[in-house]
Amino acid sequence: MDAVESPERRAAFEARIAAGEVIEPKDWMPEGYRRQLLRMMSQHAHSEVVGMLPEGNWITRAPTLRRKIGLLAKVQDEAGHGLYLYCAAESLGVSRDEMLDALHDGAARYASIFNYPTLSWADIGAIGWLVDGAAVVNQTLLAKCSFGPYARAMLRICREENFHRRQGYEIVATLARGTAAQRAMVQDAVNRWWWPTLMMFGPPDAESANSEALMRWRVKRQSNDAQRQWFINLTVPQANAIGIELPDPELEFDAESGNWKSGAVDWDEFRRVLRGDGPCNHERMAARRRAHEEGRWVRQAAQAFEARRRTRAPREISTTPRREPAHV
Amino acid sequence: MNAAGTRSRAIAKLRTVMDPELPMLNIVELGLLREVEVEEDGLHITLTPTYSGCPAIETIVAETRRVLADLGPVSLRIAHAPPWTTDWITEDARRKLRAAGIAPPAGRVAQPEAVRCPRCDATASEQVSAFGSTACKSLWRCANCDEPFELLKLI
Amino acid sequence: MSAGLLETVASQPAPAPAPEASGALETQRARFEWLLGLADDRLILGHRLSEWCGHAPILEEELALANIALDLIGQAQMLFELAAETEGAGRSADALAFLRDSRDFRNMLLVEQPNGDFAFTIVRQFLFDAWDLPQLEALCASRYKDLAGFAAKACKEARYHLRHSHGWLLRLGGGTQESNRRTQAALDELWRFTPELFLTPVLPSMSSTSDASEAHFQETVRAALSEADLTLPDAAPFPALRGRAGLHSEHLGHLLAEMQVLQRSYPGAKW
Repeated sequence: MDAVESPERRAAFEARIAAGEVIEPKDWMPEGYRRQLLRMMSQHAHSEVVGMLPEGNWITRAPTLRRKIGLLAKVQDEAGHGLYLYCAAESLGVSRDEMLDALHDGAARYASIFNYPTLSWADIGAIGWLVDGAAVVNQTLLAKCSFGPYARAMLRICREENFHRRQGYEIVATLARGTAAQRAMVQDAVNRWWWPTLMMFGPPDAESANSEALMRWRVKRQSNDAQRQWFINLTVPQANAIGIELPDPELEFDAESGNWKSGAVDWDEFRRVLRGDGPCNHERMAARRRAHEEGRWVRQAAQAFEARRRTRAPREISTTPRREPAHV
Repeated sequence: MNAAGTRSRAIAKLRTVMDPELPMLNIVELGLLREVEVEEDGLHITLTPTYSGCPAIETIVAETRRVLADLGPVSLRIAHAPPWTTDWITEDARRKLRAAGIAPPAGRVAQPEAVRCPRCDATASEQVSAFGSTACKSLWRCANCDEPFELLKLI
Repeated sequence: MSAGLLETVASQPAPAPAPEASGALETQRARFEWLLGLADDRLILGHRLSEWCGHAPILEEELALANIALDLIGQAQMLFELAAETEGAGRSADALAFLRDSRDFRNMLLVEQPNGDFAFTIVRQFLFDAWDLPQLEALCASRYKDLAGFAAKACKEARYHLRHSHGWLLRLGGGTQESNRRTQAALDELWRFTPELFLTPVLPSMSSTSDASEAHFQETVRAALSEADLTLPDAAPFPALRGRAGLHSEHLGHLLAEMQVLQRSYPGAKW
């Protein structure tokens, strides 16, 4: 791709966007557009991968075989989404290794929601219902974004996320009609996950740094606040239907707008977590870095094997005493 | 209504039960529905899951019961034999998969070269991962248009 | 197309009930325990693999290990159902998985060994897969129709599993010096658990497997190790503990404590 920017090229690009055209990887695009897409797609991929940790935390303790299978399949889905998104993001000219380095260096972000701990089984239900529910709202819109690979990725991922959301809601509903201890467990989980879920849509519109350009480029199709409101409107009736209370005393229906009006989100907490001072930021990053470091010899082995297979060179390890391969 | 009529009504209703992980396909075209029999004591339905650890089967069973509710009593059996195979996916369903960006399984003599990109139709693609987001898929990337896409694994 | 398809399968015979009179020496208890062994191997190995979740060396392996774990736990669930039916005591698959103590588990010691490094996990998996696939292939011909049905399905999955573990064995054995050293160390450590794979007599009602399966296993392993530049360890002695008899390593109790915590902490609750 020729990266040279000229006013003509830029104007032609903006015209394509305005006409609702879809941009493909090999099309010319302004560097700002490319960078924004790369930021969003890699951040999304990282979120899928880091998101495996809080849920993976309960696979070995899932209460029934059916729940274990459901959770394991869900976490596998997330790894698959991560891989898919890394591949799609690579079409913007950056390798997965480079994206991972940015994550491990702390230069790239992932969704803040995964910096909260999963403290009980009910958290698995709450994540599926609320967190995946919020993700579905966001991704349904991104599926109409102007960059083809991202839009198509979102379309595919949304299908599976919808299934996760239903499974999560079913876990929550089961606990909500369970024993007193289970009801307390699930209410506690919803109390802890509700507000962080609302923060997933990002800061209020007035403070959202990237919003204006992203809206113009049709990457983002609705503002943070509008998406948040959409999610609240969807979720309140679902909570009511199973007797779960949302932890917001100010929540009330506004007949005029047809919206459920919520209380104020604690944006200080949001910024703290974003800064790295959330409940599990340290643990999540440490776990990712450790897995990457401890897996290095495996990746090197696979590369060495592949290189040798391609060149059909004789193996370097077949003789004793063994020699150090040159690249170690 | 006679038995044949009931049976075809049941099948028509079962065509509205979509697979939760491949929601563009219903359970008839995916080959999960194996038997529909009309007996004196009601409908006998046999379903076959795709994989042992298929998390979708619970949802499919619940949905099957729901759509058949007004056709009288239903007895539902999950059969593991004969095992599900991608050969049971109908031609129509294969077209729908492709349209949704998922490469349908190639024929019995699948060679990696035969995997066609569902977006640009090029056959130059490389496997990224033998295992995909769900048990039934693997991940590929088109060398022509760079599109990552999933392939329904041949089993 | 599909209507025709339905016609053709409608004539499939219903599965036969578990054989009642096959082998006078064979008790219902023995059949139950034999099925449990098969199920427990899968549940425990699936559990171990699922512990990798979020910690695998590469994203592709997150997918592969989770997928294989999923297959194994799904298989375990099917086998627990057959075992429960054979026992006829009204226990559910979940009760068998979550409400038995370690002395009542029948899995072999190989599968309960902690994950170690990736080489250890791959060698453990390869040894299991190399043993399991021929076993499942033989079970496809079982006179116990439900078990044959299970095996037909599981076989397809086991072929993917063996391809995966065999592929990694070659990569690690033939990769770098470090990967070869780690893999050889894993093999040396795990080899002592292989005699147990062939100690359990096959029940005539369940399978037609004969002693040939051990030779088959040895041949698969020998060929793979040779290709992977790994050395076959010396023959292992007769095992001092036997998982099939409920005599486990100390690891299993910890694994079960974790796996069973919710069922034990909230008796009778529905999840």
